[in-house]
Amino acid sequence: MKLALAIASLIVFAVHGVVFYDQFFHKWERYQTAYFDQARSQARSELERAEMEARRPRIEQILVTNFGAARVDRCTTCHIASDDPRFSGLSHPLKTHPYSTALGDINQAGRWVRRHKFNDFGCTICHDGQGRGLTEYYAHGEDHYWPEPLIGYTVQHTWKKEYQKFLKGKEYMQANCAQCHTEENFAGTPLIAKGRRLFFEKNCYGCHRIEGISDGTLGPELTEAGKKFKIDYLWESIVDPRAGMATSFMPKFRLTEDEVKALVIFLKSRKGINLTETSLALFRARLNQDSAPPAAMSQPSLPAPSLNLVARGKELVEQRACAACHKIGDKDGGIAPDLSFEGAIKDEPWLLEHFKNPRALIPDSIMPAFRFSQADFEAMTAYLISLKAPTPPASPAEIFKLFCARCHGEKGDGQGPVALYVDPAPRDLTKAAFMNSKPRERFVKSIQEGVPGTSMAAWQNVLSESQIRALVDYIFTAMVKERGRELKARNLPEQNPVPSSPQSIARGEQTYLARCTGCHGRKADGKGPNSLDIVPRPRNLRNSPFIQSISDRRMIESILYGIQGTAMPPWIDYGMSQKDAGDLVNYIRSLTQASGRRQLRAGR
Amino acid sequence: MSAVHDKISNDTSLSSVLRQLPRNLWSSVFRHPLPSSELGQAQTSFSNFFLHIHPVKVNRHTLKPTYTLGLGLMSFFLFVILTVTGVLLMFYYVPSTDQAYDRMLDLRGSVAFGTFLRNMHRWAAHGMVIVVFLHMCRVFFTGSYKKPREFNWVIGVLLLLLTLFSSFTGYLLPWDQLAFWAITVGATIATYAPFIGQKIQFLLLGDNVVGQEALLRFYVLHVVVLPLLMSLLIAIHFWRIRKDGGLSRPPEAEVAPGASEIAVKLVSPPAGKQSFGFMGLVRGPFVKVGNVPDNTVFSWPHLLTAELFVFVITLAAVLVVSLLFHAPLEEPVNALHPPNPAKAPWYFLGLQELVSYSAFWGGVGIPALEVLLLLLVPYLDRSPHGVGRWFAKERLLANTLFLTFALFNVGLIVIGTLFRGPNWEFVTPW
Repeated sequence: MKLALAIASLIVFAVHGVVFYDQFFHKWERYQTAYFDQARSQARSELERAEMEARRPRIEQILVTNFGAARVDRCTTCHIASDDPRFSGLSHPLKTHPYSTALGDINQAGRWVRRHKFNDFGCTICHDGQGRGLTEYYAHGEDHYWPEPLIGYTVQHTWKKEYQKFLKGKEYMQANCAQCHTEENFAGTPLIAKGRRLFFEKNCYGCHRIEGISDGTLGPELTEAGKKFKIDYLWESIVDPRAGMATSFMPKFRLTEDEVKALVIFLKSRKGINLTETSLALFRARLNQDSAPPAAMSQPSLPAPSLNLVARGKELVEQRACAACHKIGDKDGGIAPDLSFEGAIKDEPWLLEHFKNPRALIPDSIMPAFRFSQADFEAMTAYLISLKAPTPPASPAEIFKLFCARCHGEKGDGQGPVALYVDPAPRDLTKAAFMNSKPRERFVKSIQEGVPGTSMAAWQNVLSESQIRALVDYIFTAMVKERGRELKARNLPEQNPVPSSPQSIARGEQTYLARCTGCHGRKADGKGPNSLDIVPRPRNLRNSPFIQSISDRRMIESILYGIQGTAMPPWIDYGMSQKDAGDLVNYIRSLTQASGRRQLRAGR
Repeated sequence: MSAVHDKISNDTSLSSVLRQLPRNLWSSVFRHPLPSSELGQAQTSFSNFFLHIHPVKVNRHTLKPTYTLGLGLMSFFLFVILTVTGVLLMFYYVPSTDQAYDRMLDLRGSVAFGTFLRNMHRWAAHGMVIVVFLHMCRVFFTGSYKKPREFNWVIGVLLLLLTLFSSFTGYLLPWDQLAFWAITVGATIATYAPFIGQKIQFLLLGDNVVGQEALLRFYVLHVVVLPLLMSLLIAIHFWRIRKDGGLSRPPEAEVAPGASEIAVKLVSPPAGKQSFGFMGLVRGPFVKVGNVPDNTVFSWPHLLTAELFVFVITLAAVLVVSLLFHAPLEEPVNALHPPNPAKAPWYFLGLQELVSYSAFWGGVGIPALEVLLLLLVPYLDRSPHGVGRWFAKERLLANTLFLTFALFNVGLIVIGTLFRGPNWEFVTPW
């Protein structure tokens, strides 16, 4: 035991030795001693020499209280020569901070005078990093927990290798310049201006909200992006949106390296509140914002108006990056429907109204309502109307591939490349139980006239009736495959047998709450608790264009006899009468009338 | 010896006074010189404030390292290390949400020995949770909670709870992401108690979320309330060890005969002084002096060397770990950006794992039952057999049950710590 005791004691002493050594032999002391030595040898007067002689290493710090929360910058403990012009030739850390007219420094007869004096500004306000650290690892923010590494200089080891090379360069510091120099076209921050321009040009603003600049709701808010995220995350989220979140449907924009960098710097400069703003000013701005949309939003930089409306529309559509989501010709964003033959399947009023408020026509659409001017919308509509369909190919298989496969999928299973983003989802045409339960006439009609309230367009101007019938036959032989029984028309009234009345609606609501909310949801928006487990998803019963387009007979039939191939059960088996179904129809129709009115109001 | 002492103090000339000053100072503080006789050994233990908590003599069995493993002492020394480093850290810490994290950076960056102090405090705290738990296992597996030590077991369980709570309250103080979310998760577990859950959380946090009020409350609990309570309970815990007849050991008959019979040689006490008592010769709760087989040794130096050994080992371990590993300090608090998964401190991850199955049972039901059972252990197991031996055959059932209990909790903690990834889904750590 004595030996063990001796060893343990030795360890205790050894550790003390190491700790004491660490504590009393700092790297920064060596830097400071080197600085004193060199400054002494360069001293021009005896007094200066004596002053240098008397200086002893100590922790230097700058307390910055002028800009936001107080900062403690101990950077000058190592970078002790940063304000001593004689050391411009040396290497870091004993190097003079460069002087530059771009920084506002003034050369007065060979003597530089700094505009941003270190005593007033400190260091981290421009450079980021951790002002309190005294080792390179912590001070430069190499510690990956530190949210603000030296911007443009330090890359943290957790950052992806492939992006690291893009994330260096002093231009990144413009993000910090913009904390005080908030003017949109400030000469010192050209990349902020460029990033802001791109933010509008690439339609980022349609999905993302930045307070005072844009108010998109589809994507995450970016008002404090610069505070929340490091530049590696911003870079990655722009060039590869799905890397961070697999379910993201943000498009991969075709951006050059410089453009991504400008966007990253612009976003890095968004820190919610900048140093020139007071909370009072922010509050005032917010009060005023409630009445008017952010000024910047309604006037994104526009191309010069041209005489030809179609040409101008084309210019706008290209510039606004519509193809970041949609397909137009050979450009394909892979998220939204094909616009290449929009003129053949949509008409002008529909397009114009859809531009202004996509959700008035397709209630569950993810397309943002862009706030372009009326003239812009008209030009873009004119351009889209000018896009006509090619002559349909001869065989139904090729027709399907050209017009249908983007949503319904090559195999017709409803898993087309954009199916994930289309709501209601494209019909799975291989589901025999459903396909065989409906008369073929209904499919012909859906193709001819489209399905209101959904992304299914009307193809009657592109395809002739015989082509459509051939297409339906092709779908049944190639995709449905199973042959169904002969369908017998059920004995159901064409009109709802129960006249709509407040009493009937109230009875319908009772039935609805008792029977339907599990799937269709309490709000009847198709998002009940069971809806996530059900494919196809339960119908959104507040989709007014759709609900208004279908007959009472179809609704009653769907309720009483169910919809084969879906989770909708035949409620007649559970004792529901035609009268109950009639009440339900009245209730459902009352919902869409109300919500239809609401949507119209919102669209106006 | 005392005759010499008297002679010196009688000489009152100045030079003599000065010459004798060091020795007088010394002997006024330490009443006895380093003991050279058994009487001296007994007197030293008896008259020194710091030593008088020891019996003059201890049973040989108590000193067997394989019996106690020194775990109880280790817990105490960790508590001492924590107190010392904690007090030093208090000089630099401000329990304010604006300043706490900056103070951590200062400790790491510019305070002399700051990093090391923080490392020591952190690792000693984690170590104490482990060691206290192991100490409890030792006491159970050796059946040491049995009559007359029932209540000391109860105090031990309370001390375990206080240790956990001290560690939990300290976890928040660095005010980084790790701290914030661990406490948020931990405090949420408290809300699963029926009826009063929300109130408990509010009482603990002083708010509905972890914020300035919570930081202040945790600070006060951590540096004042809990250490005081623990000191009190530790004192009682120690005191009862002696009043309950020293550490548990097998009944005397079981000890192989022959090792004893070393009677204490009585040096005739100086005239006018009372004879020193054999207060240390305690077997059972009452002092017995008599001609029973003596199986004891003097505390000085045997017990003290053992204690010193445990102390140095403990200190060395804490120092080495603190030198090799830095206490974590993550991002500054961002209340809008929870890490995924947000995990409680590791010793509560067993609870969090249970909570992921059932909020009530994991957060309240099972832990409350476990604590209740632990407290009741000595009152449920009344059989007097198997005391003082590891894994005694007579205690097979009890030991198996306890082992299951311990492994169950350790297993849950291991799963919660290593095998749970984002969204609390199962992941493998390799």
